[in-house]
Amino acid sequence: MTPAKKLLSYSYYPGCSLHASAKEYDESTRGLFKALGIGLKEVPDWLCCGATPAHNVDELLSLSLCAKNLSLAEGVEGDLAVACAACFSRLKVTQHHLADNETKRKQVEYAIAGAVNLQKPVKHLLEILAKDFGLDRLTEAVQKPLSGLKVACYYGCLLTRPPEVPELDCVEAPTIMERVIGAVGAETVRWSHRMECCGANFTLSRPGVVLKLSGSILDSAKAAGADCLMVACPLCHGNLDIRQKEIEEATGERFGMPVFYMTQLLALAVGVAPGKLGFDSMIVNPLPLLKEKGLV
Amino acid sequence: MKHSTMRLSTETMNLDFVKKVEALSGSSVRRCFQCGKCSAGCPMRSFMEHPPNRIVRFLQLGQYERVLAGRSIWYCASCETCTTRCPNKVDLAAIMDALRKCSWDAKGPSKESYVQLANRLFIDNIRTYGRQYEMRLAAVFNVKSGQFLKDLMLGPKLITRGKLKVFHQKNRNMAEIEQIFKRIEEMRKKGEAP
Ligand code: SF4
Ligand code: SF4
Repeated sequence: MTPAKKLLSYSYYPGCSLHASAKEYDESTRGLFKALGIGLKEVPDWLCCGATPAHNVDELLSLSLCAKNLSLAEGVEGDLAVACAACFSRLKVTQHHLADNETKRKQVEYAIAGAVNLQKPVKHLLEILAKDFGLDRLTEAVQKPLSGLKVACYYGCLLTRPPEVPELDCVEAPTIMERVIGAVGAETVRWSHRMECCGANFTLSRPGVVLKLSGSILDSAKAAGADCLMVACPLCHGNLDIRQKEIEEATGERFGMPVFYMTQLLALAVGVAPGKLGFDSMIVNPLPLLKEKGLV
Repeated sequence: MKHSTMRLSTETMNLDFVKKVEALSGSSVRRCFQCGKCSAGCPMRSFMEHPPNRIVRFLQLGQYERVLAGRSIWYCASCETCTTRCPNKVDLAAIMDALRKCSWDAKGPSKESYVQLANRLFIDNIRTYGRQYEMRLAAVFNVKSGQFLKDLMLGPKLITRGKLKVFHQKNRNMAEIEQIFKRIEEMRKKGEAP
């Protein structure tokens, strides 16, 4: 990297899953950013954003938890980088709602005993890579192009919806994931279920919902000729990877479809050692596929 | 249909309830003209007894009690597809949140207890630990819902893959987190917040 280029540095909100079931998302994010020379500093003492269960029944609590996180993030320099699509959505929704609703903002300010930080830009990793860092630089950094790997990019619900809130890309036909992974040489497939819901947190309460919805997603990716799926959300990942075997049993169909976090594939391409990317944490073993493509 | 006319007016509607939902959700209920686009794209449609557009119609017809008592609102995944596609800018995902809150606060006779139990445990976890610990969440859910054997085969696999943290600590700022919950309760007691 030439010293003339500006050094990027971010504050970082990993969210609960990245410290537990999605630790490979956290590890590969850190590995990728380090390899690209982008700074990442975790916000101390961050708390759960409340995710879907909180806003489902208690909007004020949801907004307050997110506002508290935004105020904790004030202590760390740089725009706030978020990996989890659900946390990203909640933090953006909070800033969006509280910017134009004074009544709610006053309630939240009382709840967190402080001002709401509406100014801090909250950015998903995709946005950082595509817009701040730049796709050309990403291509320049490639050491092991992912050529020949056919990837189905899965957006899920919350990266782009609802209109005017995340403003990451087009709400109905985004291309940011395809552009980012395409920049490191992967092939992307055209398919129908890029933005269909995976069944989300029904995985705990009503797993039957997940078997059906995630089953259609795997089906559609397979029909499009994909080798693997790429996601940006721990909950989607859990449903498509952890429950894949159960889906196979329920439908009688065999998918054997590895589900990667976007940062695992990107980090692999820019030369991070495969041993540091948590491939052994995945339930559907990706190593046969990666070996076949000459990537490990 | 037998009836040829359907009258929508402020009387048939139970304006008080509609206004409450509109205030909570920040979205109009009355603007919906029943095009059905929301239901066409709803991924959870097949699990609901009433599709999303019908739920709005029930509100317009003053039949909100059946909505609050039913399970459809609890089968909404908050995917925001309906909100994205509504030609009238009805924010149906927010209306769903508002309806669940009304049902939740009333501790009413909703038929969907599992989803509510999962929500409650999730929120309790935040108040007790500050963060989610999935293992604990799943274990307590299974005990409380009486499904002791649910996902039994998944557990060991996830532990060996390092996906479930068996040990965890509370956040250092638990006192501040408790304050957030307390202050919200206090505002509600004084009628200063919904
Ligand atoms: S899309 Fe909007 S206008 Fe059409 S039925 Fe649904 S809520 Fe009503
Ligand atoms: S937000 Fe709920 S009601 Fe709307 S489309 Fe998604 S699941 Fe259906």
